[in-house]
Amino acid sequence: MHRRSFLQLSLRLSLAATMAGSLVGCTQKTPLKTGVHPWIGYETLYLAEEFDWLPESVQLSKGQSAKNSISGLLSGELDAAALTLDEALRVSAGGVPVRVVAVTNVSVGADMVLTRPGITQLSDLVGRSVGVELDGVSGVMLLAMLDQAGLSTDQISIVDLPVSEHLRAWNEGVIDVSVSYKPIASRLEEAGAVRLFDSSQIPDTIFDLLVVRQEVERKHPEAVADLVRGHFRGLRHLVRNRHDAVYRIASRQGVSPDAVREAMATVMLPQLAANRRYLAPGGRVESVAGRLAHLLKNEGLVEVVPDLDNLCSRDYLPRGPV
Amino acid sequence: MKRWFGGLLISLLLLSGPVLQAKAVIPGASTPQARESLTLAVLDYRSDSRMQDQYAPLVSYLSDRTGIDIELAVHDQEALNRAIATNQVDLFLTNPSHFLLIRSERSLTGVLATLLRDWQGQSTSSIGGLIFTRADRDDLEQLEDLRGASIATPGIHFMGGYQAPALELKTVGIDVRRSSKVLYLGNHDRVIRAVVNGDTDVGFIRSGVLEDRIAQTPELAGKLKVINPQNLTGYPFQVSTRLYPEWPLVSLPHVDGRQVRRIASALFALEPEHPAARAAGLAGFSPPADYQSVEHLARTLRVAPYDEAPKITWVDVLHQYRVWVITVSVLFVLLVFTSIWLGRKRRQLAREERRQRELVANWPQPMLMLRGTELVDCNRAAIELLRYSGESSLLGKTLAAFSRDTQPDGDISAQKIDGLLRRTQLGDVVNAEWVFVRSDGSDVWVDMTLAPVYEHGFDVPFILCSWYDITRRKEAEDRMRLAVQVFDNAREAIFITDSHGVVIDTNEAYQQITGRERSESVGSLPPMPVDEGSAILVAARKHGVWSGEFRSRSRDGQRLILNLTLSSVFDDKKQLSHFVGVFSDITRLKESEKKLRTMAHYDALTGLPNRVLFAERLHQSMAQARRHGYQLGVIYIDLDEFKPVNDAFGHDAGDELLIEMGRRMRTVLREEDTLARLGGDEFAAIAVNVDGDDALQALLERLLKAVAEPAWVASHSVEISVSVGYTLYPQAEELDADQLLRQADQAMYQAKRQGRNRYCGFSENLL
Repeated sequence: MHRRSFLQLSLRLSLAATMAGSLVGCTQKTPLKTGVHPWIGYETLYLAEEFDWLPESVQLSKGQSAKNSISGLLSGELDAAALTLDEALRVSAGGVPVRVVAVTNVSVGADMVLTRPGITQLSDLVGRSVGVELDGVSGVMLLAMLDQAGLSTDQISIVDLPVSEHLRAWNEGVIDVSVSYKPIASRLEEAGAVRLFDSSQIPDTIFDLLVVRQEVERKHPEAVADLVRGHFRGLRHLVRNRHDAVYRIASRQGVSPDAVREAMATVMLPQLAANRRYLAPGGRVESVAGRLAHLLKNEGLVEVVPDLDNLCSRDYLPRGPV
Repeated sequence: MKRWFGGLLISLLLLSGPVLQAKAVIPGASTPQARESLTLAVLDYRSDSRMQDQYAPLVSYLSDRTGIDIELAVHDQEALNRAIATNQVDLFLTNPSHFLLIRSERSLTGVLATLLRDWQGQSTSSIGGLIFTRADRDDLEQLEDLRGASIATPGIHFMGGYQAPALELKTVGIDVRRSSKVLYLGNHDRVIRAVVNGDTDVGFIRSGVLEDRIAQTPELAGKLKVINPQNLTGYPFQVSTRLYPEWPLVSLPHVDGRQVRRIASALFALEPEHPAARAAGLAGFSPPADYQSVEHLARTLRVAPYDEAPKITWVDVLHQYRVWVITVSVLFVLLVFTSIWLGRKRRQLAREERRQRELVANWPQPMLMLRGTELVDCNRAAIELLRYSGESSLLGKTLAAFSRDTQPDGDISAQKIDGLLRRTQLGDVVNAEWVFVRSDGSDVWVDMTLAPVYEHGFDVPFILCSWYDITRRKEAEDRMRLAVQVFDNAREAIFITDSHGVVIDTNEAYQQITGRERSESVGSLPPMPVDEGSAILVAARKHGVWSGEFRSRSRDGQRLILNLTLSSVFDDKKQLSHFVGVFSDITRLKESEKKLRTMAHYDALTGLPNRVLFAERLHQSMAQARRHGYQLGVIYIDLDEFKPVNDAFGHDAGDELLIEMGRRMRTVLREEDTLARLGGDEFAAIAVNVDGDDALQALLERLLKAVAEPAWVASHSVEISVSVGYTLYPQAEELDADQLLRQADQAMYQAKRQGRNRYCGFSENLL
């Protein structure tokens, strides 16, 4: 299970209906099919669609989780998708090179490591059984944490487990440590888990992105620009009309407005200027991608280190006000 | 004068203005610092009495918590504006749109808190607009249906009651601000009443109001329906628009800072369960919200305080629409260039067309254009050739109209021209000689060329017709033909030679006269006088012509006398190029001439010279005698007894006798002497170079003897005699031939008188 899927569970039916609707509305000119799934950082695209800010050149393909987007990109069914950086690297390593065209959000505390009381520092993790979803972003979180602590995966006992099952495993005593995120993390805390580490301690590492298949990017640069512009218009609404956006996101995700406000507090939504900085050649995204790619390779999570030259492109960021 | 007075008056008024103002301010001068109590003004968005009741507990709560005497004032927007303008308000609670308007007019310290509204346990700090209509209005289902609908609203500066709904309508293309069907009713309850009563189609109110009304009068729920409902999880009210921050509580700048802090702390301390909060329907107050979205809303709708269009400079436009500006500029420049280029091309085309038109019109060769068989255009030369005054005389007619009924070759003109045109329309270029009749009736020969001209849009080609006037050529040809006829049929022989005299052409008569075939003659010299030869060529070259007679021989050896005229022919450069000779055979003519000459000088019977020739010879002989100094004798002879012979034997016998006598006398005389018969039986002789009288008398003796011999005439022997007189020349006196002959005649008569058959010399005494 990918981490972004949890918000989704209750909405499968309605989403399936929406997706069918969007497929029917497919126009004669093949639009840029963009995979997206519910996550606070990707809400900008839903908002853009709701307020009709996405032109016909862009079509959202609403999946349940990042898995749908990854397989869609790999099969060529999707042209673009909203993914985390590690997911993007997995797609590239899978033989479909992608280009990062926008950073939708940066995790600042959304991802965390919870432990049983008594474990107070990172070095205490040695020998503990750690519940982690290696295939998802929590795997990256773990790796980043171990990297910071100077530990290797050999020094801990990894229990590869979907995040949604961490609470049960915790209660059964299978795991001492959980690498997870809200709202599972909140429930673990209720069950007595203590926060040892969170993504605010590894700033600018866990990125959520808009990526485009390089092959498609070359053919339809205008559509890519339309997608990015749509994201920034949604972002403007999210920031300026927060009173409105909160209720709309809550409605779509089926959670309370307060939960949305809480979720928004754990992410940073970079504006245009920040995006330019992140996506600059040799910028943060590129350097993190390089380190992450080697980490993934070393841990055997990917088979090859993908070609990371020109991973990011700032060409599609709107030049004027959106 | 008048103007000066007016200026003074204005100055006075200006000076007195501040004074008057000051006076007006002083009576009500209760400064805020001096006042012990503060006034909290609340916007009356419902109805006065209810608002007063709802907010009174809150005000007393604040008074209790802060120790400041706070009074409540409930105002509608106008009253609130007035109260703020006159400093009668210290704190106020109003909707965000109205707050923006006030903030733009007064410099405010800002928002103390944002209201948290409570509804049945759910709280929210967000406000939206509600668009509703009567439940039975089936025609109004969605935003798009509101085009042209009448709208009830509390007023422009209401957040949920106007601006939020207006934005939603704007997104579907309906501009509420431009609509004339908007009723401004001052508060929300009146809006609901207007819609329920059917006074307007739809109403705009803020979120929450409808729920509150339905709680009081539940039957209202079935009467109204919401347009464009937004299903927002966790939001307690029905809403048709996106959401904005709730009402702000604002303190005016003059309120003491400590008081503001106390009030703020009291506001945040207010719990939802508190009776004051319950009464006002609040869940409390939250820290000030960001009212940026409300500003943006007002800006988008262009309502006060953002009703003035932002000043957009050219640079802004250029920045915003750079691509468009550049594209439009480039297109404009291209358009201008294209226009200029096209204009130039058009002028050039027009000029070329005019030039071609002029060219055709002024072309010296006649040109015409036909469609079908009709003339549709022609140039000046064509009109002039036919000698008409203008093209109207030609256009619309057929070519046959300017021709005689038949052409010289016998074809009927109309049929012939139809045939030619048909061939041309099939694509041939046709050439023909044609005779037209000019307006003055004269004929003109033309060499006519007809060519098809294909033009787009016409199945049948136009026909271009050009004429070349060949009348002169035709006339020259006629002359030439005539000349050839003359050449061939002339009785005179005609030949043409080159500049060296070698024949290059001859006619039929030439062959007949010379007896040479033409092939033989060409390449050889023409007949020319043998002794002069090519000299006549020189003469002809020099004088232009040579004319003369000469003897020649024909091919079979016959003698010919030819009369030739040889003329020189010069070329354009005055160089001799040819000779033309004309000659005729004058052989017979010459023979006749000779005969005639003989008849004039000789006696036809005896063949002796007659009196005329005798006189000539006498003259000659006399001249010779004088020149050479010898003597001549003139002898006059008359036959004696001739008449009886003539009578006895007939005239023939007489003629025989005369012939015989003449012959005998001739034999007596020398060769150089002349014997002539003067007429009848009279003869005369000239004996030249006579050596004195004796020698002559000896001659005369012989003469008498010869005559006296018997002669045989008409089978009879006849004997006759002659009487002879003579004289000599020169004599002492000069005398002429007649005198001389007369002397001899006189001497002859003397001899007759003396007895005939004798001679007698002339002497003076004879007279």
